[in-house]
Amino acid sequence: MERKGDILAGLLFSTKVIQNVLIAYDIYHMKICCPEVAEKAAPGQFLHIRCSDGPTPLLRRPISIAGANEKDGTVEMVYRVLGEGTRLISQKKAGEILDVMGPLGRGFPVPLDAVDPVLIGGGVGVAPLLYLAQKIAGPLSRSGRSGAAFIGFSTAGEVFGVDFLKSCGFTVFLTTDDGTAGQKGVPTEAFENCIKGHEVQKQFDIVYACGPKPFLAKVKDAAVRGKIPAYLSLEERMACGVGACLGCAVKSAGEGYKKVCRDGPVFEAGEIQL
Amino acid sequence: MNRDKLSEPCPKMEYIRNCAVDLCVEIAGISMKNPVMVASGTFGFGEEYAKIYDINRLGAVVTKGITLLPRHGNPPPRLCETPAGLLNSVGLENPGVERFIREEWPRLKKLPVPVIVNIDGDTVEEYREIAKRLSELNGLAALEVNISCPNVEKGGIAFGQDPGSAYEVVRAVKEAATLPVIAKLSPNVTSIQKIAAAVESAGADAVSLINTVLGMAVDIDRQRPVFKRIFAGLSGPAVKPIALRMVWEAYEAVKIPVIGMGGISTWRDAVEFILAGASAVAVGTAGFIDPEAPLKIIDGLEKYLVECSICESALKTSGEDKTIKLRDIVGLAHKNFTEGDFS
Ligand SMILES: Cc1cc2nc3c(=O)[nH]c(=O)nc-3n(C[C@H](O)[C@H](O)[C@H](O)COP(=O)(O)OP(=O)(O)OC[C@H]3O[C@@H](n4cnc5c(N)ncnc54)[C@H](O)[C@@H]3O)c2cc1C
Ligand SMILES: Cc1cc2nc3c(=O)[nH]c(=O)nc-3n(C[C@H](O)[C@H](O)[C@H](O)COP(=O)(O)O)c2cc1C
Ligand code: FES
Repeated sequence: MERKGDILAGLLFSTKVIQNVLIAYDIYHMKICCPEVAEKAAPGQFLHIRCSDGPTPLLRRPISIAGANEKDGTVEMVYRVLGEGTRLISQKKAGEILDVMGPLGRGFPVPLDAVDPVLIGGGVGVAPLLYLAQKIAGPLSRSGRSGAAFIGFSTAGEVFGVDFLKSCGFTVFLTTDDGTAGQKGVPTEAFENCIKGHEVQKQFDIVYACGPKPFLAKVKDAAVRGKIPAYLSLEERMACGVGACLGCAVKSAGEGYKKVCRDGPVFEAGEIQL
Repeated sequence: MNRDKLSEPCPKMEYIRNCAVDLCVEIAGISMKNPVMVASGTFGFGEEYAKIYDINRLGAVVTKGITLLPRHGNPPPRLCETPAGLLNSVGLENPGVERFIREEWPRLKKLPVPVIVNIDGDTVEEYREIAKRLSELNGLAALEVNISCPNVEKGGIAFGQDPGSAYEVVRAVKEAATLPVIAKLSPNVTSIQKIAAAVESAGADAVSLINTVLGMAVDIDRQRPVFKRIFAGLSGPAVKPIALRMVWEAYEAVKIPVIGMGGISTWRDAVEFILAGASAVAVGTAGFIDPEAPLKIIDGLEKYLVECSICESALKTSGEDKTIKLRDIVGLAHKNFTEGDFS
């Protein structure tokens, strides 16, 4: 397996916004032009984005790379407007400049061999899985294997990514908290039921997940029980984004803390305590 | 001084064009090619930013705080953004002095820039031990004694809040070390002048200030403090006026050089600190937002010296030598205040 991003090659770029559109409730899809990032990026890596020129909001905001195209040099992101920083990013118009640092962090290991992968995403955590799906699509169709994606949102209005995942060859299991789209429930349950399901015992080789911490803890439990290797993408507040400030700590399975920005954001489930 | 006038034709321009700019400073026996350093704890051990820009352009590099034994640091969350500021509760996570020497020093010692190691301890004895151990390193420029960390249970800030114990720690380090010693002061004190004077009399070769300002944040969704240790250290633009005031005070209280920091983001900020009495400045939080901020500040200082009419006062001291020296403007605001006319 190949795991890019072990060597930090993060750089500073003044990029041009190509599009920035609302695709679901409070969720935006942004495309920027940055050939350097498009060429180097690996799924799971993120960009550290400057939201304002002034001192508020002060810090950059980490946003996952949701797609990259080496040919035309574009990089995509999908993000939810949560507070002031993401609100300012959402106001960027096509043609404007976006200051980004990246690609940063260690991403998902992309399988080179034939495997049956499963993606599990909650809410905006689906974003990095889209890029992963894009990268896996080729090997998947060549090897005739099948991938599954369990994704969940709070309500129908927030759903995104379903068609894209399908186009990458994934079977999509959609859930919403209120049952307004797909099945009512959460994707972790749907996943557990699937690997527990006696009649249709489905064996997956590798789990990739991104979402809130309690969500990832459930994925980890299920993966451990199903004896499937799992890679989890974590979130933590960040300042530097490159491993210098030691601010983005997550408890390591051993002693001390790992840094989400440098050692992650993607961790093998056994590396960390959730 | 009206900065807007910079764009107008300057009668002194001809003279200025023939001037060279000298940004060199010497602090505590350390020669720096410019006065811009990075602040401890915001630059790791230099490895990360070395991959982003040419860190050899910096005046000096200051490492993350090192303790005798490794420390895991505080549990998350460790960061919280505030208006124009950053609260941190990292808690001195570091590999300990032995692993630092084994794993970080071999790379650091090759840098063509002076490297200053920031040290911390729970007891005077620990400070002494670590100072002794680091003095064995060939090529280390200086020790910065952190008597101001707000994020640990013992030691740290407690030493920096009382002139007596500040004296004791710096004295012990000074006795044990064969290197220049910089005392890093806390802003969380009633009189920075008393502490600065105490560390000067203990033999400190320079003082650096400010460390972070004690603050806190409350999580209104969970109705409890954001940080496990309740209080955390505030840095960034929000603390700049406090830092500047303290640098001004320290400059008046001691003869040893003052290294100024706290919210410096632009060259204008740096110039303010220098005019208030800082012989050198350090950039911390601003580097998280723009890693190249220190370099932009160096360039800005150079331009400021060339372009601006401070030449008036600076030139007097420069005499025949047409080199404009940064060191000639250190503390200039004090002089202009006493001599100047504010009406
Ligand atoms: C590696 C990484 C990748 C990410 N990728 C994406 C992505 O692809 N799309 C996306 O929409 N978001 C992503 N995020 C989350 C995103 O960074 C935050 O939503 C954003 O920083 C919020 O900034 P803001 O100024 O809008 O909100 P703020 O005003 O900073 O925060 C609004 C509220 O959210 C809380 N909050 C802010 N940041 C976090 C956090 N990191 N974890 C938990 N709570 C937080 C605050 O406490 C506050 O209550 C990612 C985060 C990380 C660490
Ligand atoms: C994340 C973080 C970690 C820090 N760690 C240390 C440290 O280990 N030792 C120390 O003396 N100061 C430490 N500081 C304080 C800075 O060196 C500096 O004094 C302070 O942040 C003010 O400068 P700034 O506003 O430019 O950041 C730390 C600051 C931050 C933000
Ligand atoms: S954000 Fe600074 S170490 Fe991760």
